[in-house]
Amino acid sequence: MSARARRAAGLAAAVLLAGCGTNLSAVDPAGPQAARIAGLAGFLTVAGSAVFLVVVGFLLYAVWRGHRRAESAGGPEVERRMALWVGGGLAATVAVLAAVLLHNLATGRALAAFAEPDALVVRVTGQQWWWEVEYQDPSPHRRLLTANEIHVPVGRRVRVEVESSDVIHSFWVPNLHGKLDLIPGYSGVTYLRADRPGVYHGRCAEYCGLQHARMDLRVVAEPPERFAAWYEAQLRAAPPPADSLQQKGQQVFLTRKCAMCHTIRGTPAQSRIGPDLTHLASRGTIASGTLPNTRGHLAGWVVDPQRIKPGARMPPNQLASDELHALLDYLQSLK
Amino acid sequence: MSAPRTTVDVSRLPTVTFGHRNLLWWGTLGFMVIEGFTLVLMTASYFYLRLNEYAWPPGRTPDPDLLLPTVNTVLLLLVIVPMHAVKKAAERHDRLAVGRWLAVATAMTLVVTALRWWDLLALNARWDAHAYASAAWGVVVLHATLLLVDLFESGTLAALFLSGKAKQKHYPDAADAADYQYFLSLAWVPLYFVVYWGPRLL
Amino acid sequence: MASTGAEVREGLLDAEARAEMERTWRPRPGLYGWLASTDHKSVAKRYVATAFLFFILGGLEALLMRVQLARPENGLLDPDQYAQLFSMHGTTMMFLFGVPIQLAAAIYLVPLMVGTRNISFPRLNAFGYWTYLVGGLLLYSGFALNTGPDAGWFNYVPLAGPEYSPGKRIDVWAQTVTFTEIAALVAAVELIVTILKQRAPGMSLNRVPLYVWSILVTSFVVLFAMPSVALASLMLAFDRLVGTHYFNPAEGGDALLWQHLFWFFGHPEVYIMFLPATGFVSEIIPVFARRRIFGHTALVLALVATGFLSFGLWVHHMFTTGLPQLGQSFFTAASVMIAIPNGVQVFCWIATLWAGRPRFDTPLLFVLGFLVLFVMGGITGVMVASVPFDQQAHDTHFVVAHLHYVQIGAFVFPLFAAIYFWFPKVTGRMLSETLGKWNFWLFFAGVNLTFFPLHFLGLMGMTRRVYTYLPETGWGPLNLLATVGAFTIAASVAVFLANVYRSLRSGRAAGDDPWGAHTLEWGTSSPPPSYNFLHVPVVQGLYALWERTPDRPVVTGMQTRRREVLLTTVLDATPDARYEHPGPGLAPLYTALGLGVTFIGAIFTPWAFVAGPVLMFGALLHWFATEEEKEGPPTHAEEPA
Repeated sequence: MSARARRAAGLAAAVLLAGCGTNLSAVDPAGPQAARIAGLAGFLTVAGSAVFLVVVGFLLYAVWRGHRRAESAGGPEVERRMALWVGGGLAATVAVLAAVLLHNLATGRALAAFAEPDALVVRVTGQQWWWEVEYQDPSPHRRLLTANEIHVPVGRRVRVEVESSDVIHSFWVPNLHGKLDLIPGYSGVTYLRADRPGVYHGRCAEYCGLQHARMDLRVVAEPPERFAAWYEAQLRAAPPPADSLQQKGQQVFLTRKCAMCHTIRGTPAQSRIGPDLTHLASRGTIASGTLPNTRGHLAGWVVDPQRIKPGARMPPNQLASDELHALLDYLQSLK
Repeated sequence: MSAPRTTVDVSRLPTVTFGHRNLLWWGTLGFMVIEGFTLVLMTASYFYLRLNEYAWPPGRTPDPDLLLPTVNTVLLLLVIVPMHAVKKAAERHDRLAVGRWLAVATAMTLVVTALRWWDLLALNARWDAHAYASAAWGVVVLHATLLLVDLFESGTLAALFLSGKAKQKHYPDAADAADYQYFLSLAWVPLYFVVYWGPRLL
Repeated sequence: MASTGAEVREGLLDAEARAEMERTWRPRPGLYGWLASTDHKSVAKRYVATAFLFFILGGLEALLMRVQLARPENGLLDPDQYAQLFSMHGTTMMFLFGVPIQLAAAIYLVPLMVGTRNISFPRLNAFGYWTYLVGGLLLYSGFALNTGPDAGWFNYVPLAGPEYSPGKRIDVWAQTVTFTEIAALVAAVELIVTILKQRAPGMSLNRVPLYVWSILVTSFVVLFAMPSVALASLMLAFDRLVGTHYFNPAEGGDALLWQHLFWFFGHPEVYIMFLPATGFVSEIIPVFARRRIFGHTALVLALVATGFLSFGLWVHHMFTTGLPQLGQSFFTAASVMIAIPNGVQVFCWIATLWAGRPRFDTPLLFVLGFLVLFVMGGITGVMVASVPFDQQAHDTHFVVAHLHYVQIGAFVFPLFAAIYFWFPKVTGRMLSETLGKWNFWLFFAGVNLTFFPLHFLGLMGMTRRVYTYLPETGWGPLNLLATVGAFTIAASVAVFLANVYRSLRSGRAAGDDPWGAHTLEWGTSSPPPSYNFLHVPVVQGLYALWERTPDRPVVTGMQTRRREVLLTTVLDATPDARYEHPGPGLAPLYTALGLGVTFIGAIFTPWAFVAGPVLMFGALLHWFATEEEKEGPPTHAEEPA
């Protein structure tokens, strides 16, 4: 297939898929891996459509031609012609399939041969129903634990190591790459590179229980210097409460159920059952991509997570309204 | 109908046939394929699970005992002898001989099946200890289930022949039971090596 | 027409023979007769009807899901209900509709097509149906009691394991599957033996109709595919009930072992539904094109090749698990290769239509619809067979689109074609052509409307098995379109049911052979008598009825006072033996109930594995003791001594 046809196919797909508000498209690549697959997808779409039109065309012609006959055709001459056409069809099928297979293997090789130095190693652990994200570093105090939002520098390869702590999940950020399953007892590795700054959405792609539909993540691709600044900021412990209301909020956090599951570095809350909240206010969403991170949504989530995400592991929290406001003030201060 | 019919007269064909001329033989063959392939898949699963462990058996689980399983394997192979006699007797329609040899084979199979419990104990690990134990139990229990089916079949046939109620058409059934017995005995041999010798060699 | 003396005499003899055959083979009266029947036709009819009922239930489940997804953040269903619905929908369509209805149709058609009086093991056949019914009732009782499976029809562990799915829901699934596997396996054995040993004299292998070939290949696929899922579901049941660790990674078990075993069955299963459908198509096209099919041998070879290749594809359901590159390339190649035999089939069908003089009755319309949808589904199949593309498409609505194009297009469309084609034979009445055309066009429009948009939704990131989605994803409009399509399909099925109802009440009488078809079943009355053929026919060519000589040769010398069938040799179908079939009886029902107690009881206590077999032991003794029906209503008093 010519490059022009491929571009045309890509364009057609882009037009069809335009208008979606989120970056969650397999045919709008933002990195080399997704781009290679999108190229293959374009080729397959064009080749497939051509085959479809040709075969259905032949079918319609056959039916129309046959319908006009006064008598069914037979005899050695007719049989010979049919054999010729069927043989030709078979040869064409084999040729198309061979082309598909070669394109396929070439793409597979290119994906596997994506070799450049890693800027980062990120370990992503799937859990029902959120993502724990741990940036690896040779020096232990530069390791970083966060959740549901992965920041990466633009133009640099990131090694993503995936594993699961409960059931099978699948890590999928379509604008960057195809998906990779997270299987208990196995660990997987995939490589991503974002070439444009932006927020790329990801989803869990393997059914993992009740809230499979609400297990999203985000990959935030930023210029390297902004990424470095983000990383340094995230490494810091949570800022101490700035006023008495936040002070009270921290007390609520530490004395109620919150601290039993969550970590806020710099406080005694150190549990890893739920997502790390040290810099909660710096994230765009809460509840694993379910809700925008606003005060109202946060309040709704803290009070009754089961209404928003039935089955989620977080229990409801009955708080007096002043306690809730104090807690929200505190959580919103965790920049 | 205008012309007089051309006909194929089948009135002289036999109504009792053996082996591949018998319908039931084909049915038995079909079930051997199903059961045999299930055993193959179970064994494949055993090897697949092997890949997850450094040592096999894992941890401090001892190797399975050999003595009793070996004796029992030999015994199961020996059941072929009376069953072969059953087949020969069935082919010459010797009712009493079929019944007697079937009874011998049934008794031997009963012993083998009962000893299977100690075969399981010889694995030296309970089924819920770890995947190794589950896999080994799986192989042995699956084959033991087939032994129970076989026991039922040969026992019923033995009773039928000894009580004198057997009809002509039951002779091919007895011959088929013999074929099924050969299958069960021979299928056990590789399973025995996998389960009882495998841990020493893998 | 003037009749000669010889003719009159033959006619009298026939009438006498007919009366005697009627006495020997007729079903017993009343409820007992219904429960005890071992006639392949009555068992097959209830089998098809039951499977179709499950098709409607599975369709209603799909409709509910489509309503839920019609707009973002819809609140009709909660996530738990949605999980049960998609698990039920998949399980129903695969295990209670797809495989059973294909085997059931074969149980009806194969003995007639090969010219014999009953299926090879009539009581095993009845047992198979009862077992299947027990499985279906178990699943739907569970669902009604809020114990429906909720981990998908594929039940990936550890989600389906004891730790993450406590309760009985998954156990209900595992045992349902065990029942349906047993039913499918016994059907496969009976069909293979019927095809190999009970063909009418003269039907050598090169004269076997293509539908019968498709069933032979399918049955062999069943034989090797079903044990895999039966074993897997047993292991799952043991992990859940007695604490084994086959799938528990913490104790050396393996989550991927489940996927290998499941898909080693799961992929061939698609072909278990699809191959008989190609058989329907190969029978229907020559009749409506009014010419012999082109490439008979090529079509047989294509069936066999597809059957073999279907076992080499299972890993393409696991392309995102991170398997080694080399293995993936191998399975990609195998998956792409299966397009070759299927291409050959499509080309042969098109060539036959080209050279024929097609008649556009409803069966052919459904076949043409099949060809369009199947080519579409086949092409997206080649797409998802590519590992890199699949890594994007896998577990998204792109795959939902693909699999429904294949399943509905390549299995349900031919099935409807077959129903319109054979309904006159089974009931003696024609279905309405007008309603048939409505049925077809609504179905064809509905399928495209429902499933074409899902390709785009998949590429737009819409994953499968999600009970809701956010408005900003932009998935709303296409989902609404798909929901409208789903209702169109529902309307089409409603038209079909109306058509069946109308026809059964007041349909036009069909006569023996309303279509001018060529296979043996059209040579007997509609509906066929309990003994199928008064005289076992002698086959003289590949197109049995088109190629027979005017004197219509038949077999004589069969006993008419007992249920005798003719056994012939495997390759040449020369007469070899006469074999007596057992009559009706309740033993199959009892045995199926014993099996039911075993596996259903095992959900609650492992001791059921002791109690159940004891019951089955009794039932089987009864089975052996009643080979020539000695109990039941005294009908044989009327029989001549």
